[in-house]
Amino acid sequence: MNWARMQDALVHRAPEALSVHLLMVVITIGIAVAIALPLGVILTRPRYKKLSMIVMNVMNLLQTVPGLAVIALVMPFLGLGLKPTIVALSVQGLLPIARNTIAGIYAVGPDVKEAALGMGMSHRQILYEVELPLAMPIILAGIRTSTVYVVSVGTLAAYIGGGGLGDLIVTGLAMFWTEFLLVGAGLGALLAIVLDRTLAYVEFRITPPGLGS
Amino acid sequence: MIELREVSKVYPGQSAPAVDNLSMTVEKGETCVLVGPSGCGKSTTLRMINRMIDTTAGTILIDGKDIRQSDPDKLRMDIGYVIQQIGLLPHRSVAENIAIVPRLHGWPKDRIKKRVDELLTLIGLDPEESRHKFPSQLSGGQMQRVGVARAMAVDPPIMLMDEPFGAVDPIARNHLQDEFLRLQKEMKKTICFVTHDINEAIKMGDRIAIFSAGQLVQYGTPQEILSKPTNDFVKDFIGLDRVVKILSLFHVKDVARRTICTAGESELPNVAGKMRDLGADTCFVLDNGGRAAGFITWEDIAKHGDSAASETMQQIVAGRKKAFVQELVLLRDALSLMLELDTEHLGVMDGNRITGAISLRDIRKHASKKEGE
Repeated sequence: MNWARMQDALVHRAPEALSVHLLMVVITIGIAVAIALPLGVILTRPRYKKLSMIVMNVMNLLQTVPGLAVIALVMPFLGLGLKPTIVALSVQGLLPIARNTIAGIYAVGPDVKEAALGMGMSHRQILYEVELPLAMPIILAGIRTSTVYVVSVGTLAAYIGGGGLGDLIVTGLAMFWTEFLLVGAGLGALLAIVLDRTLAYVEFRITPPGLGS
Repeated sequence: MIELREVSKVYPGQSAPAVDNLSMTVEKGETCVLVGPSGCGKSTTLRMINRMIDTTAGTILIDGKDIRQSDPDKLRMDIGYVIQQIGLLPHRSVAENIAIVPRLHGWPKDRIKKRVDELLTLIGLDPEESRHKFPSQLSGGQMQRVGVARAMAVDPPIMLMDEPFGAVDPIARNHLQDEFLRLQKEMKKTICFVTHDINEAIKMGDRIAIFSAGQLVQYGTPQEILSKPTNDFVKDFIGLDRVVKILSLFHVKDVARRTICTAGESELPNVAGKMRDLGADTCFVLDNGGRAAGFITWEDIAKHGDSAASETMQQIVAGRKKAFVQELVLLRDALSLMLELDTEHLGVMDGNRITGAISLRDIRKHASKKEGE
């Protein structure tokens, strides 16, 4: 163990790598939510129900492509840097969110929807006032899964110049610097845990009080 | 008034219509109970009235206006809707649940709050205590009450109720039925009520519509249905105790004989003469406090003789201490009490006051008369 190198990794490299990584995750999840949530909602509407099988299968397929391969695949089209990384990660982050949105909305009891409709609520009002609030805990669980996944796959961004904690790991591997490996991997794990716990707390807080917790 | 004209519903992929060329009218202020075995089309019919299901053919008019001319959401906002599963929004408090329809109508907040409290009181829940509760904190009976209150929130003239009390236990159901009858007496809403329980239909309905395989088999008052079932299906559906059910349409006060003869305990030896003078066939014997201790009937006198020992008479009187019913008891329940006590006579009271007498023969005569009507 080389303390000077450890210090270098922790003090000079880690802050930037961590903030880039965090930025990457936040933007990626933002995009993934912005796409997957409406998509999930649309796929539960009666008119598009038939489509949902196809879309879900395509997404399942996308999900089986290894993270590294997706990152490698975007490079020829979008080049190097943070942007292509975010595109690649967003694609990977879609599935858990869309899947949970659909599952969450389907889990809303038919009796509740029947009563809401029977009282004269429009489909839009039912979506915003009944379906989404009741599905929210499940949707958030999907976002959590996605977030943890993106934190880990995000380390591969270093290969296409995306930066982040992957830089430390790649450098560590190339130079046989255990200290860099430890700092990169350790902070990655820590970030995943912190984000996971934070979202779990949010999930707990926004679970409607009437639903047993 | 709700009018159905030659209404049919065929579900896609099914050859037999769920509702077949149905025409019927529910008068303003009446409770019409749609009853029949499952799959007979009664729920479909109900749900076509608020356009939860669209008709395949025919017209439905509410107060003369074709429901297809109204926007479905607007139409439903003006029709109370109660379902068996209740469907309270689990993430909203009791008050918020009741406030849904007033909110859709755009009522101001203070008016909604006032109305919610009013309704909670009406359904027997303490507003302070239950306003902020969530549905999961209520019992089944309370939930169903909130469901009914929610449907009545904007005081809609029409209510549709699909087995509203089907999911609660029998005691709570009975209670809810009584409460609802009491409310309806004042509210005079036009109600369509679906059930598969003929007893509930008899109890709740001003009119009963019996359905079988998508068709209206018979439509009439409970008494008409019970006394003149149009065919064997209706007869079977009502059950073998059809005539006993007729008895549940009438109260003791409808049959009781009003000639009242009373005597103190010391007058026991002279009761026969007293009864003869008054033309009464029952003589109530009062205890020292002036309360009814029991009674003597002609049959007792015929059996034991005019001059029976007063001890024998006293025993007979004492044996009838419990043989009294209130005027508002159903004839069916009076009959049950007779069987239970192994007696053919009951005294009739209104509170603590003796108001008449009723005998098995009276009930029998009444039943056969009503059956013949």
